[in-house]
Amino acid sequence: MSISKNNLILYFGILTFGIAAPFIFPAFKVQLSILCVLIVLATTWNIQGGEMGYNSFGNILFYGLGMYLCASVQVGMFFPLAEWTESGGEKTFVHTPAQFFQGMAVGLLVAAVVPTIVAGLIGYSILGLRGHYFAICTLGLGVAAGEISGGIEIIGAGQGFTTPPFPDVGSLDSRGEFFYFLSFFVLVLTFIAVRGIYSTRFKLILNAIRDNEDKAEAMGIETMKYKIVGWMISAFFCGLAGGIMGGLVGYIDSTDVAFDGREMGVFMVLMAILGGKGTLWGPIIGATVFHIFKEGFWTFFLGWQYVALGVLIVVIVIYFPEGIMGWLREKYPERFGEVVDEKDRKAQVELK
Amino acid sequence: MKISKLIISFISAAVILLSTSVVSFAKVVGDKIVLGAAISLTGKYSSNGVHTQNGYNMAVDRINSMGGVKVGGKTYKFDIIYYDDESNPKRAAQLAERLISQDGVEFMLGPYSSGLTKAIAPVTEKYGVPMVEANGASRSLFTKGYKYLFAVLAPANLYLDVAIDLAVEKNNGKGVTVAMAFEQDAFSQDVRLGVLDAIKRTGSKKVIDDKLPKELNDMAATLVKVKQMKPDVLVVSGHTKGALTAIRQISEMKVDVPMLAMTHCDAAKLSKQHGKNSQYALCASQWHKTLTYKDDFFKDGMTYDADFTKEFGYAPPYQAAESSAALLVFKDAFERANSFDQKKVRDALAATNMQTFYGNIKFAEGGQNVDKPMVLFQVMCDDGGKCENKVVAPTKWASAKLIHPIPSWSQR
Repeated sequence: MSISKNNLILYFGILTFGIAAPFIFPAFKVQLSILCVLIVLATTWNIQGGEMGYNSFGNILFYGLGMYLCASVQVGMFFPLAEWTESGGEKTFVHTPAQFFQGMAVGLLVAAVVPTIVAGLIGYSILGLRGHYFAICTLGLGVAAGEISGGIEIIGAGQGFTTPPFPDVGSLDSRGEFFYFLSFFVLVLTFIAVRGIYSTRFKLILNAIRDNEDKAEAMGIETMKYKIVGWMISAFFCGLAGGIMGGLVGYIDSTDVAFDGREMGVFMVLMAILGGKGTLWGPIIGATVFHIFKEGFWTFFLGWQYVALGVLIVVIVIYFPEGIMGWLREKYPERFGEVVDEKDRKAQVELK
Repeated sequence: MKISKLIISFISAAVILLSTSVVSFAKVVGDKIVLGAAISLTGKYSSNGVHTQNGYNMAVDRINSMGGVKVGGKTYKFDIIYYDDESNPKRAAQLAERLISQDGVEFMLGPYSSGLTKAIAPVTEKYGVPMVEANGASRSLFTKGYKYLFAVLAPANLYLDVAIDLAVEKNNGKGVTVAMAFEQDAFSQDVRLGVLDAIKRTGSKKVIDDKLPKELNDMAATLVKVKQMKPDVLVVSGHTKGALTAIRQISEMKVDVPMLAMTHCDAAKLSKQHGKNSQYALCASQWHKTLTYKDDFFKDGMTYDADFTKEFGYAPPYQAAESSAALLVFKDAFERANSFDQKKVRDALAATNMQTFYGNIKFAEGGQNVDKPMVLFQVMCDDGGKCENKVVAPTKWASAKLIHPIPSWSQR
């Protein structure tokens, strides 16, 4: 992959901003961390929804799975998990700083690997479905996972799962900084990985599947293989994002926090569409705009935030059907490296 | 790439937006003590969220109009910053963070429901922000070693175990068969554990143990089983929606069961919404207006009931009463600490030992109130169809005799 000089400056600028952000806006660390997680979710959803043309509502499954796994490992490595989650239990367990960070590290690893394997296992059957059938099926995945996990006693069932509290290290700000940098790191990792695969043949194959899957198959592409690998990549980063979010929120509830298809599951789709699906930067811009608007609505339209959000969505659909990136591309095609042949354009206008 | 400029300008726009939206309140501005609260104004807990908010507001107005809080020779007034947590734990945790680190709130009031309190407690604990909460009853809140969490209510496992005892007593001390249906949330599941303990203790037997989904609006499957198994007691808990759904479907399906024990009957305004259909339901409550506790601000339960009804147009459920009590606890603690230092206020809260119109308040090590028993009331209707909640247990507070068993639908 080659990086042009302009891009290098851009990446460097964003990286510097990312590292400096928690110190420029110390009060917004949590929101910034959530923003990173949202970008990861939107970017990985875009691999399916944008590049491959498979509108997945099931990515929330990997997110929730990652969340439960990370927390369970973090607790289970040092204490009996069942006693931790039991609500009637009288015992109080406290992680030492070393235990907390070791647990988190191993937990995140598991949170990334297991969902990837799950995606590989269920991918073969589910990715055989197309169009609406695929969307509905994946929608069911998230709902089912929420209900099932709400019945498993060892992870707290309906009681929910309190994740280990952050140990007493450093100042009051260290918790926020830790989770921010962790989520920013995952964001950078996701970006590098996604940018990497978008510059290879892999992306072209995904696009071919989106544009005409049968034709792609006829040309000798094993579409199933690529679909599954694409989903596994998404699952890997969704799992990581979930693991971080669990620690950040501090409390996991089966349907409201982990397998939160109604919010996170829909938001990731919305953000990618808002920014422009099928582009590298679209989901990132979409997630940022969405998050800022949502936080603003919360503050200024208390009680009406969802109405305001609904209006925003309507505006997006009507005025930016191709998303922000799509709109920009139409407006300034030359900036996207597209050459507009004036003569040809005029000729077309005359034809009409 | 040509779009780099666009992206850079976009980021700078975002930066400007963020930095202009920083609003900072201090915890004590002028003569105001600013408390923070995340309340469920929307979502599945919205009705109870509003009860909670009304309870808070009622107490704030009352305390402010009756002289406010005296600290260090100066008089302060209470003020509350509210946010809507949308009945979502994830949002509640974020909002707690926001109240503390952005709005500079140094004292918090609790949200509605155990799940949301569970999500907020780690945050307040981390920042050492004392939180008096009135609506998080799950026991697991009090076993995590939290030092800044204080609950004015009795823990959830005590809600319905009395009902099992009562049924056993009516059965001449012999064990009974119990059908249970509980929503899958932190509070109801803890109520379930309390009932399980009671079943074990009394040598009873559970015949049905169903979990109900959140956003509860159908429990017909459970009720069909109840019709077949004919248990002695049916226990249902699922916040307001659980109570409404249970009564609606029990009356529709004409399910006969000798004892029906529930939670949240008063919050659901059962006797008003379902009238005679809700008759004989036995309900666990943290508070009832006929209890004879007293304080200087609200006088007693009857006066509170009348004042609240006048202000908000409906009779106060216990969720409102306990929320009002939380403010009384805060006022008392501020005055005893005679300071706004969080540690001192925390210690003063831990040493609380007072009576309010809502009940006695004294906190155990874990932060739960150990000085206030639960009561059970039964919905009783007269021939004109006017229904009232009357306390039937414990005997000390009882104003009516328990009607047991519930007459079958064919005789009603």
